[in-house]
Formats: sequence, C-alpha cells, structure tokens
Amino acid sequence: MRVGLFIPCYVDQFYPQVGIATLQLLEKYGCEVVYPAGQTCCGQPMANSGFEHLTGGCNDLFIKNFHEFDYIVGPSGSCVLHIKDHLHASAPGNENAAVDIRGKIFEFVEFLTDVLKVTDLKARFPHKVGLHQACHGQRGLKLSQMTELMAPAFSKPVQLLSMVEGIELIGLDRQDECCGFGGTFCVAEEAVSVKMGKDRVADHLHHGAEYITGADMSCLMHLEGILHRQKSPVRVKHIAEILNSQE
Amino acid sequence: MSKQHETKDHAALADQFNKDEARVDWHDKTLWFVRQKRDKAAQQVPEWESLRDMASQIKDNVLSHLSEYLARFEEQATRNGITVHWAADAKDHNEIVYAILRQNKVDKMVKSKSMLTEECHLNEFLQEQGIEVVDTDLGERVVQLAGEPPSHIVLPCIHKKKEEIGEIFHEHLGTPKGNADPQFLTHAARLHLREKFLTRKAALTGVNFAVAETGEFVVCTNEGNADMGAHLADVHIASMGIEKLIPGRQHLGVFLRLLTRSATGQPITTYSSHFKRPRPGQQMHIVLVDNGRSIHLGRKDFRNSLKCIRCAACFNTCPVYRRSGGHSYHTAVAGPIGSILAPNLDMKKYADLPFASTLCGSCTNVCPVKIDIHEQLYKWRQVIVADGNAPAAKKVAMKTMTWVLSNPGVYHTAGKAGRWFMANAPFTVNNGLNPWYKQRDMPEPPKESFGEWYKKNKQ
Amino acid sequence: MSSRDRILDTVKRNQPDHRELPAVPGSAGEKTDADLAKQFTGMLETIGGTAYIVSGYGRIISILKEFFHDARRIVSNCPELSGYAETPVQFDDAHLLENVDLAVLRAHFGVAENASCWITEDLMIERALPFIAQHLALIIQKKDIVADMHAAYQRIAEMEQSGKASYGFATFIAGPSKTADIEQSLVLGAHGPRSMTVFLLDEEMSDAGFF
Repeated sequence: MRVGLFIPCYVDQFYPQVGIATLQLLEKYGCEVVYPAGQTCCGQPMANSGFEHLTGGCNDLFIKNFHEFDYIVGPSGSCVLHIKDHLHASAPGNENAAVDIRGKIFEFVEFLTDVLKVTDLKARFPHKVGLHQACHGQRGLKLSQMTELMAPAFSKPVQLLSMVEGIELIGLDRQDECCGFGGTFCVAEEAVSVKMGKDRVADHLHHGAEYITGADMSCLMHLEGILHRQKSPVRVKHIAEILNSQE
Repeated sequence: MSKQHETKDHAALADQFNKDEARVDWHDKTLWFVRQKRDKAAQQVPEWESLRDMASQIKDNVLSHLSEYLARFEEQATRNGITVHWAADAKDHNEIVYAILRQNKVDKMVKSKSMLTEECHLNEFLQEQGIEVVDTDLGERVVQLAGEPPSHIVLPCIHKKKEEIGEIFHEHLGTPKGNADPQFLTHAARLHLREKFLTRKAALTGVNFAVAETGEFVVCTNEGNADMGAHLADVHIASMGIEKLIPGRQHLGVFLRLLTRSATGQPITTYSSHFKRPRPGQQMHIVLVDNGRSIHLGRKDFRNSLKCIRCAACFNTCPVYRRSGGHSYHTAVAGPIGSILAPNLDMKKYADLPFASTLCGSCTNVCPVKIDIHEQLYKWRQVIVADGNAPAAKKVAMKTMTWVLSNPGVYHTAGKAGRWFMANAPFTVNNGLNPWYKQRDMPEPPKESFGEWYKKNKQ
Repeated sequence: MSSRDRILDTVKRNQPDHRELPAVPGSAGEKTDADLAKQFTGMLETIGGTAYIVSGYGRIISILKEFFHDARRIVSNCPELSGYAETPVQFDDAHLLENVDLAVLRAHFGVAENASCWITEDLMIERALPFIAQHLALIIQKKDIVADMHAAYQRIAEMEQSGKASYGFATFIAGPSKTADIEQSLVLGAHGPRSMTVFLLDEEMSDAGFF
C-alpha cells in the first residue's frame, strides 16, 4: 500500500527524528512510504485561533500533496484530527478529494493497531516510561478511553508499548489531564499553560518516569521545555521513537 | 455590593491568580476532588451513558417546542394559583421583582441560590432601591459578606480558605477570632440565618426545573435554605430562565438522577422540593426571564448550550478553570459553559472566554445533557474573529502565518532561518519578549529538518 | 407588544425543527422488597442518616425516647404517637414551629438508589415543619420502597390517579440538611434538620427485631 507521510510542521523543523522513526516503522511493516516535499502545515494553529477562514491555502496545498495515496499517516493526533474534522477545499471542484482524504488519513498509532494490525514489534526500550495521553488523540480520535466516560477502558498506545521489550509503564495520578499546550494557548495564556505542564511533569516525576512519551510531539515539546528549565534528567520521546528503538 | 470586574481578560486575570502557586495547587486539588466524586457516583449507575443520551434528547425536544411548552407552563401554573411574569431582559426582571416587593411593602428579603439573579445583578439593583437582600446559601452568604461574586455556580466560595471564611464570620457574625472549624462556622451561619428566615416576609428562589405539563417547579438544595425561606414567607418569588422547562413530571426522574451526581457526586440533593400551589394566604410568583436566550435559540451552532442544567461538572473537570478560578472569567457563570453562553450576551466583552481553553474536550464528556462544549468553543472563536474582535497584532501574525504555510518555498526558508538563529544567536528568541521562554526552554534546533533529511537520504 | 408576546414570538421563530421526545424508562430491574430495603438503609447511612426496621409504633417511640431524650417539643402527624408528641391537624402560623425539636412524620415511600423519602404537604401538617424542626424522623412502610427515581415518579402518578396525595407542595428528603461549602468539608446540619432518622415499618416482623 502507498502511504503518504504527513509530517507536522514543528516535527519537520524541530524533531526530525520522529519523522524518521515513523517512516522506518511504516517501511518495516511493508508500506511504500512517500513524503511529499511540498507539504507545510495542516492549518490548525490558524483555525484554533479563530482564523479558519484563512486556511484555504493550506487546505488546498494539503489536498494537492496527499490526494493520490491509499492512506495518509502522520505522527500527530491533533493535526490528523484537525484534517479529519476540518479539511475542506477552497478551490472549486476539489471537495471530493477533501472528503476522500478525511476518510483515509490516520494518526500513526491507530494506523499500526487498526490498519497494519501490528501484534509483534521487535523493539527494546528498557526504561521507566510515563505515557501522556494527548487530548485530541484520545477524545477526538479515540486512541484510548477517557476517564470521564463510563465505558470499558482501552488504550492503543499502551497496546503497542506493551510489545516493547524491557519497558516499564508507570501509573499516574491523573491519567488523562491536558498538558496545557493547546496551540496558541501556550503563549496567549502562558501562566495557566505552564502550570498545567508543570503539574503533568510533576505527576510523571512522582511516579519515577525516566522518559515521558506520547503520540503528540506538541505536548511533549511543551513538557520538554519545562523539564529542561527544571534541569531534570527526564527526557521526552515520541512513541514512534520508542516503538522503533533497539536499545 | 459585588465588585464590578474591570474590563480585563481571562489571560490577565489568570496570570494574577497564578502568582500564588500554592494557592493554585490547593484550588486545583479541591476541584479535582469534586470531579473524582462525580466519577465514583457515575460508576454506581450502570446506565449512566444512556441516561445522558436521554437527558440530551429530552432537552433537544424542549428547545424544538419551547414556545409551546412555555405557553403550557404558564397556563398550568396560573391555574395552580401562581402569578406568571415575563421579563425580556435583566432590567425587566429586576423591576418586576422590585414591584412585587414594593406592592407588598417589603424591604427585606431572603434569597436562595439563583445564578440567574447573579446574571441580572439583582442584589445590587435591589440594594440601590433600599431593599436588603440576604443570600442564604452558606457559600453565597460568605461571598456576599466578602463583597465578591461567587466563583462557582454550585460551590460559590470554593476559592476561599476556611481561615478566610473564619475571618469574614468574625468580622460580620462575631465568631471568635481565629476559629476556622467548618462545623463551628456552619453552625454560626445556621443561627445567624435562622433569624433572617423567621423575620423576612419575602423569599426569592431559583428554579432547577419547571414542568410544563403540571405547572410546578422544582428547587434542589442540600441546605434547606430555599424551603426555610419560602415556607416562612408571605411572598415567594421564583426566578427562572425560559430554557429551564421540561415537558412532563416523569422527566424529572432522568434529570434528578443526573444533576447532583454530576455536580457533587451525591445521588441526590437533600431536598428536591416541588412547588405547585402557594400556601393558603401566600403569594407565589414566577418570573420567566429571556435576557438573550430567545436570540441564542436561533444560533444553530450554539443553541445547545441552552440545555444546560447548571451542574458545573464542566467546571470541575476543566484543567484551565481549576488553575484560573471563576473570577478570571469575569462573568456570572464561569467555566466552559459560561465561555459559550457569555459571548451571546456581549461578544466584545466576553471575546476572550472561548480562547481560555486548550479544547481538550473533557467538558463535553462530563456534561449530563451532552452539550458539545469544546466544539462550540472552537466555533465561537471563528465568529468572534469574523466579528472583528481579534486584536490587530494577532490578525497580522495570522496573515503572515497563512502566507508562510501556503507557500512551501517560503516555509522551508523561514524554517531554516529560524533554526539558524536559534542555533547561532539564541538570544534572539531566548529573551523576555518571547512568552514561551518565560518558564520553558525552547526546543533544540536540529541540524536539518525532516524534509532536508528525506531529500538527502530517500530521494 | 407585551414582553410575553415578544418573547414567545422570538422563541417560536428561532426554535429548531422538531426533535422526538425519548421514552422514559420504567423502573430498573426486578429487585425484591428485601433487597430494596437493604439498599435504602445502606444508602441512608452513607448520606448521614440513620435507619431502623421496626415492627410497630411502640418500637418507634422507645427508639426516639432513647436518642432524642432531650427533645422538649415534639410534633407528629401520626395519631399512633399522640401520647409522645403533639399531633395537631394544622397550625395558624408556621413561625410557631420555631422551637420544634423533633418532627416525626409519616411519608409515602422511599427510593432505594438515593435513600430519599417522598412526602406531600398533607402529611407535613405545615410546609415549614420538615425543615424548621431541629431533627426529623420519617416513617414509611418497608414494602413501600421503590428502586429509583423513574419508579418514584411512576408511583407518584399512580397515587394521583387514584385520588391520593395530590399536592400543592411536596418534596424528596434524603438525609439531614448539609453543606460542604467550606473547603469541601462535609458538615451535617445546615439550615434544615440536623439529623434524619427513617423508620421502616415491617408489620410482619416480630417485636424483637430492629435494625
């Protein structure tokens, strides 16, 4: 199957290793992976700030880059959710392509569990790891059950991480509280954003995490910023990197 | 006597609130505790999620026939001997209440919890006319004595520590200085307010639910203050938003099972009082208030917020509310639901509220009537910006972002340049002008972007 | 145009298209009377009340005398308690009830899921009585406990249809009055009664037993 690799703008610029891990894993499981070089961004930062009406250019660029693939896969719950919920064509005649894309775009974790149906990973990461459940992936894409819903528990990220040799997943006091990144919220409401991030970090540290992982690098970037400022030895690592690890 | 909020915005007020980190931790933990109690209570009801569905559908039906239900309620209530008044807006409501009191030569009144009267600023208005209003819900009495508005619609003084409440009671009720024992303070309030109940001729209550079919209304309290007020008064006035109707009495079963479990984790409030007819010799009035609700009903994307039963589950689950406090929202009803109701009242004044959120979605999933709160927050952002309420700097930044992100060539150049500056001249971003940098380090700039790596290694 | 007409007009214009009203459930499940009584008494303890299963009014009086021995003024709607309490049919003025220490009232039925009791004003003597008394005791038949609120409203409708217990005022009372407004510390005894006792009358049981 031909997979178009969708790499969020901040992953492209600041965390290329996440894109590399994603690509390598997809190829390991038999996908023909292509990264359209003309891609930029899903448009979420503008849309979430009330400027959805300016995202036409981004949308059309996305459609242009990705409409030809069997699947589109991206290592970001929030970006994938945004495309799924909000991709519309502004250029006339393109709406069918937009609808088509919304039906075949997957976040990286759910692609592995639901489409590739991975059952065995041959990965090794012998560390204590805390899983941060990013909100859009969890509540939007249903990657795992939210604690406020009275429904059976499940977690696709945990499902995959449990296949990693040597890993020890720690428990948390608050399993699915938001980290406080929230897009432009992280600077527009800096005080609350940082406080939320600090509290998440404290929860992981309290339970002995050596690494904090998750399916969204935006959350992890925010937590990493706080960890570095605290001069903590704890590091963040995107789930793709752990699932691709041979440590 | 409550302070008028200056025209600040949530971010500024929240920033102030966060200056005392220990206090934020205390406020956050207290409200998280309430969220956990809600979870435990919901777990005891195996059909919880289908109850939510049912409540949501009942309220959808109500909104779709609201005019008929209102007319029916008026007909039935009037037949029961209740005088029904209609108030177009807050001013109207306040004047109707005042007229009833004046007519009955009353200048002192007791009031049980009604967020609607907060919305209408009733207390200030009546005080200006020389009418004394005593709030009888313990939390509301505390904030009334403190000269503040409530910060939470169910737990009005949740932002106050017991030592502070002890101080307030020492000053106003004469309790011993330094006594902060909740049992002792509550008992002092009991005695203090009992005297008011016994001597006031008029009582005003809120309305949790009004039943169209039977013309009765239900008031839920744990303290018994609504009942103590109403049953000892010659005049009982009930203030109600027009959206608080439900079709039939049997529907109360659904809502009473959901309301208190969602609000405090209790299976039901101590009292769920059904008022249908006045006592012989008593006047019973109900004021049906619009104040923008009929307009809101016409907003296709936003009308669902009128389903709200004011349980505050969304407040308790909101990580932003817990860490910024109700006063940061500078409106009567704060939190997530307040953030989607207030812009309808005044889009300019409350333009900041829909942005006081990370859109995590937790609120939507605790709402007993399934209001799509986080989706409405997103949609309000579009409306607010389209209405011209975005700050000029933000508009420019967004236009720039759009241009960069719509043009791959520009994007790649900008990205490369940004990383170069971060690597070689970090002070250009690591400084006081960069709000990210205040309490967080910037990410490390890698040598090459993913795109550049891919070009080199895969093409 | 009056406010009323303007409001109704705007509402009618703006209300959305018809949405179907869902069917409300009947009672949840088939629990036995014994199960419901057990659930009720367990829940009542949890919310700060006290439950007794008793065989008759004699037992009720001895328990009340033991636990409310300081009560000076006791009012009841039960003629069976006329030796122990005042049993008026009405009061001229609710304010006269200010010094009632204990009110003992028959109620209609209990609800197992939340340990509330439904009482209509005809059983209250005066509306203020169940709230103004310092302590409240309610008496229901042990067999008159329904499972949940859906069943409760069904029962209320049935009672009305058979001409019983129509009301101008009625209430569900669950436990003593309470508040947790001060730093989430639960305090029993806010403005209503400071304690709540519920007697479940089980005429089939022998005199020897009580819960």
